[in-house]
Amino acid sequence: MDTWLIIEDILRKEGIARQHLNSYNEFIERGIQSIVDEIGSVEIESLTNPYKIRFGRVKLGTPRVVEIDGSVSNILPLEGRLRNMSYVAPIHLEMVVEENGIVREQQTQHVGDLPVMVRSDLCALSKMTEQQLIDVGDDPNDPGGYFIVNGSERVIVGLEDLSPNKIIVDMEKTGGNEVFKSKIYSSIVGYRAKLEISMKKDGAINIKLPSSPVELPLVIIMKALGIETDKDIANAISSHSEIQDLLEVSFEKATEVHTVQEALVYIGNRVAHGMVEEYRLRKAESLLDWGLLPHLGRTPNERYDKSMFLGEAVSKLLELKLGWIDPDDKDHYGNKVIKFAGQMIADLFRTAFRNLIRDMKYQLERTGQRRGMNVVGAAIRPGIITDKLRNAIATGNWGRGKVGVTQLLDRTNYLSTLSHLRRIQSPLSRSQPNFEARDLHATHFGRICPNETPEGSNCGLVKNIALSAIISVSSSASEVIERLTELGVKTTKEADQTTRADGCRIFVDGRFLGYVLDGEGLVNQFRQQRRQGNIHPHVSISYVRPKNEKAVGRIYVDVAAGRVLRPLLIVEGGQPLLTDETIQRIAKGELSWKDLIQMGVMDLVDANEEENCYVTIDQKSLNRDHTHMEVYPSAIFGVTASMIPYPEHNQSPRNTYESAMAKQSLGFPAPTYGYNTLVRQHLLVYPQPSLVATKSTPLLNLDQRPTGQNAIVAVLSYEGYNIEDAIIVNKAAIDRGFARSFFYRLYEGEAKQYLGGMKDNFEIPSAESNIRGYRGEKYYRLIESDGVVMHESVVSGGDVVIGRTSPPRFMEEYKEFEIKGPYRRDTSIAVRPSETGTVDAVFMTQNIEGGQLFKVRVRDMRVPEIGDKFASRHGQKGVVGLVVDQEDMPYTEDGIVPDVIINPHAFPSRMTVGQFIESMAGKAAALTGHPIDGSAFTGEGPEDIGTILKKFGFNSTGKEVMYDGRTGRKYAVEIFIGVVYYQKLHHMVADKIHARARGQVQMLTKQPTEGRARGGGLRFGEMERDCLIAYGAAMVLKDRLLDEADKTKIHVCEKCGLIAFHDIRQRKYVCRIDGEQSQISTVSIAYAFKLLLQEMMSLNIAPRLLVKDKV
Amino acid sequence: MAIDEVVILENSSVLYDELMAHRLGLLPLKTDLERYILPEQCDCRSPLGCPKCRVLLVLDAQARDRVVTIYSGELVSEDKEVIPISDKIPIVKLATGQKVKLEAYAKLGRGKDHAKWQPVSASVLTETGKEDEFELYIESVGSLTAPTILSKAAEILHDKLNQFATAKGLA
Ligand SMILES: [Zn+2]
Repeated sequence: MDTWLIIEDILRKEGIARQHLNSYNEFIERGIQSIVDEIGSVEIESLTNPYKIRFGRVKLGTPRVVEIDGSVSNILPLEGRLRNMSYVAPIHLEMVVEENGIVREQQTQHVGDLPVMVRSDLCALSKMTEQQLIDVGDDPNDPGGYFIVNGSERVIVGLEDLSPNKIIVDMEKTGGNEVFKSKIYSSIVGYRAKLEISMKKDGAINIKLPSSPVELPLVIIMKALGIETDKDIANAISSHSEIQDLLEVSFEKATEVHTVQEALVYIGNRVAHGMVEEYRLRKAESLLDWGLLPHLGRTPNERYDKSMFLGEAVSKLLELKLGWIDPDDKDHYGNKVIKFAGQMIADLFRTAFRNLIRDMKYQLERTGQRRGMNVVGAAIRPGIITDKLRNAIATGNWGRGKVGVTQLLDRTNYLSTLSHLRRIQSPLSRSQPNFEARDLHATHFGRICPNETPEGSNCGLVKNIALSAIISVSSSASEVIERLTELGVKTTKEADQTTRADGCRIFVDGRFLGYVLDGEGLVNQFRQQRRQGNIHPHVSISYVRPKNEKAVGRIYVDVAAGRVLRPLLIVEGGQPLLTDETIQRIAKGELSWKDLIQMGVMDLVDANEEENCYVTIDQKSLNRDHTHMEVYPSAIFGVTASMIPYPEHNQSPRNTYESAMAKQSLGFPAPTYGYNTLVRQHLLVYPQPSLVATKSTPLLNLDQRPTGQNAIVAVLSYEGYNIEDAIIVNKAAIDRGFARSFFYRLYEGEAKQYLGGMKDNFEIPSAESNIRGYRGEKYYRLIESDGVVMHESVVSGGDVVIGRTSPPRFMEEYKEFEIKGPYRRDTSIAVRPSETGTVDAVFMTQNIEGGQLFKVRVRDMRVPEIGDKFASRHGQKGVVGLVVDQEDMPYTEDGIVPDVIINPHAFPSRMTVGQFIESMAGKAAALTGHPIDGSAFTGEGPEDIGTILKKFGFNSTGKEVMYDGRTGRKYAVEIFIGVVYYQKLHHMVADKIHARARGQVQMLTKQPTEGRARGGGLRFGEMERDCLIAYGAAMVLKDRLLDEADKTKIHVCEKCGLIAFHDIRQRKYVCRIDGEQSQISTVSIAYAFKLLLQEMMSLNIAPRLLVKDKV
Repeated sequence: MAIDEVVILENSSVLYDELMAHRLGLLPLKTDLERYILPEQCDCRSPLGCPKCRVLLVLDAQARDRVVTIYSGELVSEDKEVIPISDKIPIVKLATGQKVKLEAYAKLGRGKDHAKWQPVSASVLTETGKEDEFELYIESVGSLTAPTILSKAAEILHDKLNQFATAKGLA
């Protein structure tokens, strides 16, 4: 049964970026309207003519641009990228002016622009066929899921978050004391209130709320919520006597409070101490409605529900204290949700929309008398929303300290783009250890890639979703509640005493719904209903059986968006319900994966529901107790790890290294390379699909967008030029085009308009017209009269590609040089120092301000050379150590000469056995002419490959007799040689080579500048200094750190030890303090030291140098 | 012989000029060692060579109404003996409206300088087991016949040995 077809169908139909698109589409369909509805209307207060503006339906237009002349035209993403514009659609809002409840006027107003996610329902590309996409110049395989802001592609990376509205109980040990805590992050969109219930050593239970400066006793909160008697409070928590006994201390501490009113007074006194009584009461009430569990509602009507929820939170806490249940696991993936673009933009839009309304109200109230739609229309400043959204996405700055929310889309190669769109960030600080949070958790299985995570500070915090992962979309909680009541759930109000005492507690979407006696029965029925299609497939239900029978069972039903689901085949009676026939129909395209859910043969389970499942990995180990079976084992990997052949034979960190390296490899990122305008881009000239592919290769289009080449690789030492992971490359292979690539760099220049009618000009700056910063004629030789370099010109560092002059920076500069008249500055754009190339493309267009915009792309052919970095797909990286003539390379008896020779020492400690198998499989593939499947767990194994090799007359171990090309002598041992897919990584020596003798120095410290781009020096650092000290090489030390660095002479007064100055009239150095009595001597010190002395002086410290004659 | 200099008159294909030249260079050409000499041994000293040391091949192709693949057979050589070993080697695919017009200069050269001048695709020297006896297997790419390759190689080796002997005063 080829169940891979299911995974393939899911990813083909849903696309790689479905999680972003679903989230965004949800926002434009419902989210934006509900935010507007939340505000609903605004009252314009005026003494004479008060009126009201009511907001109606939100309508989103098509992505468009408003040109400087006011003309409007629809645009596609490509135009946004090219013209440095944003891909946005107008937001139109129906507004109704009402006076005394009578509708006066009604009109639709433009309230701002919404950034459009590429390929979302709002994007024109989402409705195009493949051919149409090609015709408009877009890549049909582009996954979308990102935004275009100011011409650059930005992704809102998925943000991992704690599930809202869940009761998490935990035990903390502080100084030998056990403190039991129950925490709830009560969240409504855009607002979150953390509630913490704790039980200290004395046994009193207190509640901490964000809106209260002090902890409040549980009993008093319960009383304030309307449960006045101790008995009712105890019953709201639990009817079990052992739990009720633990409440004794809490009741004792609240004996003086009896009624709701007294409780409110008590709370008011704590939260608003010293205020007038009326205010204190109001504070207390608002604390109950807004500060306490706001997700249950923000009016006094919901206080009963809140008391029940609070009771449950306390019950869980006490059950933990009694040891009936275990503490909750914060790292369990059932306690996490992932927020994608839609939710993130909703947060932003809410504040932006509120700001717009506030601004509108202020303006209308200030202008006073006049009213009507024209005035309202004039008071709307769409820029408030437009700018807020655009700036947030452009910078990643989400406000309230949230930075780095968006990132520039990685376009290094196609794979890195896909991986970037499936990345997840954790909000946890990367500077703190957070050990457990970084660990791989059992619930990550099939949801999060076990291998793909960065090394170092972000390890385990940045993750990638697995191929099989599906992110839930939100569904209606009320429908689910309806189903549950049909199935016999009694709500908290309805339930009788027995049901309460013995029944299971059931929670829906973070609310305490009620009780049911037969919990397991309900769960099974609910699942049956879901499998019949009566309930949304993303709704999960899980039954938590306590480890002690005295505790109650709990059922959680979750409908929230952002949970990570995974498909599992349903097993009944030891047999999967999925048949071969059904699979065949999927293969033929008659059925879709979604039909499998409707047919009741596959479930989408989240991590909580999976706790109720018994899942087998494959049919071989299937028994009658199993409830589910994996769909396909290798779908547990993410996009990068799934392209590693035979990963299960590698030491696991190697797969992690490869997951990171694959994203740096050069390939064929997109067929649109002819007119892309990325700042940096690489293109591999002869990319090849790998001979040893995995199941995901065609699925991820890696057969069409490859990132490497199949190389003949021998494992052999060669004159020591491949020690320390270096590789030897055959020169003839390079001559024939092996690993040849192009590097593109974009230069751009726009003409700005300045105040006073002056503007930038594109021209050849002329030597005669007194241009400040004139570079010299030869640098302008390639540009033509329009100021731009000609296509296919050969350029190198310093050559101007866009000639531009600008008006003087400040008006004052005119006066200073009045004799010479006004001068302009040269603001030409030149090729970066130490880069060369050919002008590949010149784009001339207009930016949104109407200024002319030139983009010049320079290409540089990169032929592999010593120092360029390569890697196989097994985390085996190395630089070229030597390029060897083909005639000197070793050869086999068939005349096969390797393209690459790697060192045998690369294997024993790394244990990348997968590379050996790949090498043999590659050889077999080359011999048979058919690619070989190297998918994890299911690929063709080494035995089968050995058989193929044998059939073609090769040794089944992959070893061959080889001869030394220099001597013609047979090597004493057989050499392991085969075909391995090699990736050229973007770290090339041409971009890094750097040397300096003398050069620029920094203005402040007079020390050499830093970095290759500035012609900087190579730092002689502390450790290098330590070496010289250890050797006792004092003169070398002085030479490096003083003579050849920032040596300066200063004049010091021997008497006071302070720096003397040169008096031009007396023609000598004098000391300000000692005057004539001073004796000045000259000393050589580092300029940085002089600077330090003077900086200290500026802080009122007198550093004195004690000078003595050298003996 | 292999194409070594290309003058591109027009190229609106997706292949950059330098890539086009690289691909042309790798086309194996049928070679007559008797009629041509190495450019460095020629007294013309011209960068594009003279009839003694080079052959001009011209490519003028365009796609008018459909996508076409341009094959080696479309190269027109001034010497009908010096042509690609096969007509079926793809050079570039042209989309409608694209055009390539170029002059390519083929010259003699050495495999050591660039793989395009290697006359063989395989050259294997193996031990036979008997003392001082070896087996040499060569496989021509088609530019020269295997016997020509072997005798020319022997000739070059012989000349080198003579030069060595002369230099050392052994002759
Ligand atoms: Zn000549």
